[in-house]
Amino acid sequence: MTRYIARRLLQAIPLLFLVSLLLFVMLQNMGDPLATMGGRTMTRSEDRARLTRQLGLDKPIVVQYLYWLIGNDWAKIDLDGDGIAETPGIRKGVLRGDFGYSLVNREPAMEVIMERLPNTLLLMLSAEVVIIFGSLLIGIYAALRQYSFIDNLITTLSFIGYSMPIFFVALGLMYIFAVNFKAWGLPYLPTVGMFDPRVGKTFWQVVWHMILPIITIAITSFAANSRYVRSTMLEAMSQDYIRTAKSKGVPRRSIIFIHALKNASLPIITVIGLDLPFLLGGAVVTERIFAWPGMGRLFIDHVSRADTPVVMGILMLIAIAVITFQIITDIVYAWLDPRIRYN
Amino acid sequence: MKRNWLYTATAILISAVFLLSACGPSGGGEKKVVTFIFTQEPETLNMHYTNMYFSSILQQLWNHWAWEYDENNAPYPVLVTEMPTQENGGISADGTVLTLSLRDDITWSDGEPITAEDFVFTWEMAIAPTNTVATAYPYSEAVSVEAPDPQTVVVTFAEPFAPWLYFFHGLLPKHILQPVFDAEGTIDNADWNNNPTVGSGPFVFSEWESGSFLRFVKNENYWGEPAKVDEIFVRIVPDDASQIAALTSGEGDIGIFIAYPDIPTLEDAGLNVIKVFSGYNEGWYLNLGEKGHPALQDVRVRLALAYGTDRFVISEDLLLGKTVPAATFWDGSPWADPDLKPYPYDPQKANDLLDEAGWIDSNGDGTRDKDGVELILRYVSSTREIRLDTMAVIQQQLAQVGIGVELYNYETDILFGSYGDGGPVATGNYDIAQWSDLPGAFPDPDTAYWLCEEIPSDESPQGVNWQYICDDDLQALFELQKTQMSFDDRVATFHQISTIMFEKVYWLGIWQDPDIWAVSSRLSDVKISGVTPFFNIAAWDIP
Repeated sequence: MTRYIARRLLQAIPLLFLVSLLLFVMLQNMGDPLATMGGRTMTRSEDRARLTRQLGLDKPIVVQYLYWLIGNDWAKIDLDGDGIAETPGIRKGVLRGDFGYSLVNREPAMEVIMERLPNTLLLMLSAEVVIIFGSLLIGIYAALRQYSFIDNLITTLSFIGYSMPIFFVALGLMYIFAVNFKAWGLPYLPTVGMFDPRVGKTFWQVVWHMILPIITIAITSFAANSRYVRSTMLEAMSQDYIRTAKSKGVPRRSIIFIHALKNASLPIITVIGLDLPFLLGGAVVTERIFAWPGMGRLFIDHVSRADTPVVMGILMLIAIAVITFQIITDIVYAWLDPRIRYN
Repeated sequence: MKRNWLYTATAILISAVFLLSACGPSGGGEKKVVTFIFTQEPETLNMHYTNMYFSSILQQLWNHWAWEYDENNAPYPVLVTEMPTQENGGISADGTVLTLSLRDDITWSDGEPITAEDFVFTWEMAIAPTNTVATAYPYSEAVSVEAPDPQTVVVTFAEPFAPWLYFFHGLLPKHILQPVFDAEGTIDNADWNNNPTVGSGPFVFSEWESGSFLRFVKNENYWGEPAKVDEIFVRIVPDDASQIAALTSGEGDIGIFIAYPDIPTLEDAGLNVIKVFSGYNEGWYLNLGEKGHPALQDVRVRLALAYGTDRFVISEDLLLGKTVPAATFWDGSPWADPDLKPYPYDPQKANDLLDEAGWIDSNGDGTRDKDGVELILRYVSSTREIRLDTMAVIQQQLAQVGIGVELYNYETDILFGSYGDGGPVATGNYDIAQWSDLPGAFPDPDTAYWLCEEIPSDESPQGVNWQYICDDDLQALFELQKTQMSFDDRVATFHQISTIMFEKVYWLGIWQDPDIWAVSSRLSDVKISGVTPFFNIAAWDIP
């Protein structure tokens, strides 16, 4: 297993390099970071020329990628526009842990990302826990009562949930539980943000503000995941070893949760393993509507400003997470099914 | 009996939701907090590093300008004792020297006095080649900025500089930033830029959580009249619908850039909706360059576009009658010529002008043509919803007079991409471009959009004259106004400029584009300026 993990990690290096190159080239064609400098109108021509030079955006794309990768502290830059490169560069490059400075706010790109990451993880991990337990609960219940009224109802609701766009769910929940409940004099939930400024950022305030975003994410994910659990559980429950366990008088709870669920888990683990790295990317729509300060919004905001350092940082984090979680998923496979060997 | 755990779990979940919802605040405590809802997060609080509106408008909370602007966009002195004029000697007779007299009681929030050295330092930082400021203008126009004594600032220009009002927006505290500049050679990455704990306004910056909020608390050392509320909480809510929900539910007190269709909802919820003119007018920029449609070279065709477009219906129906068509680029300001009125909708006149210009439908396909060239125009704009609607309506209107229109929409950073970056407008790959714009140094009327030297090319890829218009008369007038220190003379020049642009249809106004603010009725004494919106923030109260 150790050799397998080491091999996978080594394979990841050229893969990450290739991914970074492709993403960098694509980002160069996604807009002009100096077009408006955040304003509602275009940047003045003298300023655009000066900033293009100062920020190194006049360099060929290969040079810009090299600076991003290995830094520019070995080169000199022409800051004053006299045609002579006189100022030593200060960037160390990604390989030395320097993702550069955001073109939007001049802060280190990784600091900008790390400010948002905890918020995204808080929301997305909480939502993932709700989704996993909710899907297991609903999926197992439906599988054990196949074709019953409840099973049909869950199936119908699943398809409704799956077919609803997430922005519709989010805004619908917001208007019902926040705006209308308040108007009707009922206990109501907050519309936006992580806490009420009059109260402050307390634990319960954050929990209270997470309810609607989590329900929004969960509703749309329950549908697919619970159907997946239902079908794998149905398959497991029809296996010979389950019949044997039943005939031996093993308690029903043990049959379901130990024998059937463990064996039905492999495909479910695959789905969760694929989901987890993308939690880092946040839930773009949900974060936007509920004004949750996460990575999804950060990504969209900085893509719209063609802020290459920050966008590349986010994308590389996700790429690393995908590779890492794939390896972890493989390890969990082997733990769940001792027959699996990677040698 | 079999335990039904699904029902139990569901019941627990629903109970928990209601229990937690009951844990919410019941209506606030003693602290007076005004909550702003911003749809975009300020990029930085050092406004030298951004052109962003949301960064700029927060300035009056925590960092005064030398002069600010009232609800009529009229300047009044703040850090200076009086507005400089030629009469009081603040502006030299030849218009090349500007002398500011500072108040002697102004201090930074840490108690340090604000002196002329801070003004000199601000100029030095704006033009330092190692600082990547968003714009060096207008500081780059000054030959020198000097401090002969702590209360006097002398700005010298090489030639008369009429747009001097644009100076000293965003004063930098020398005692905080000079050590940073000395150590690092730049203030690009200074902590103060995004964590400016020292300022000069009625509030001081307290906290900024990225993507979530900014908090400003009352400045206990404020040199002016103290603020009446304790805290300004700026919440970032990027979604327009969520902004409306937050305002109507009372979770926000003030919001901006309200879409016209949302105005009735907000008014029904008891909010006051305020229209504020901030210099913007939505209009058409016509491409008269080589890559533009040849028909646009003929002023009769351009006039036909004006007469063939019912901008009154657009204002009335799409914008709910809350605004009117613009006649000039300077509408809504003292620089606009009141004698110029928007072209009326007159499709018959449009047809006559097109016939006269030789554009007729010779092949019977419904679109006019001439010498084998179809009159089909490329109409580009951003992806803003109101523009998509407007473009669709105009496409139908122009079809009525035999002008075909192809619609193209781009994200803003692509639409405004430079010539060097292949931006569709900058490179001239359009015939009509629509967006909302203002004179670059508003409320000053100066603009570079129609200057001959600003036409982009391979040699000058950063030019902003994307209309590729070089009119000698216009050029001379634009150069003249920049040197006119007399307000009346300059107004007269702008009336001439407006008349040329109106008659030759170099720019066609679609609608006047005021900012729409929604303000909670629980706030009192709220006035909003189009230049420095929160100019009287210290007077705001929650009775």
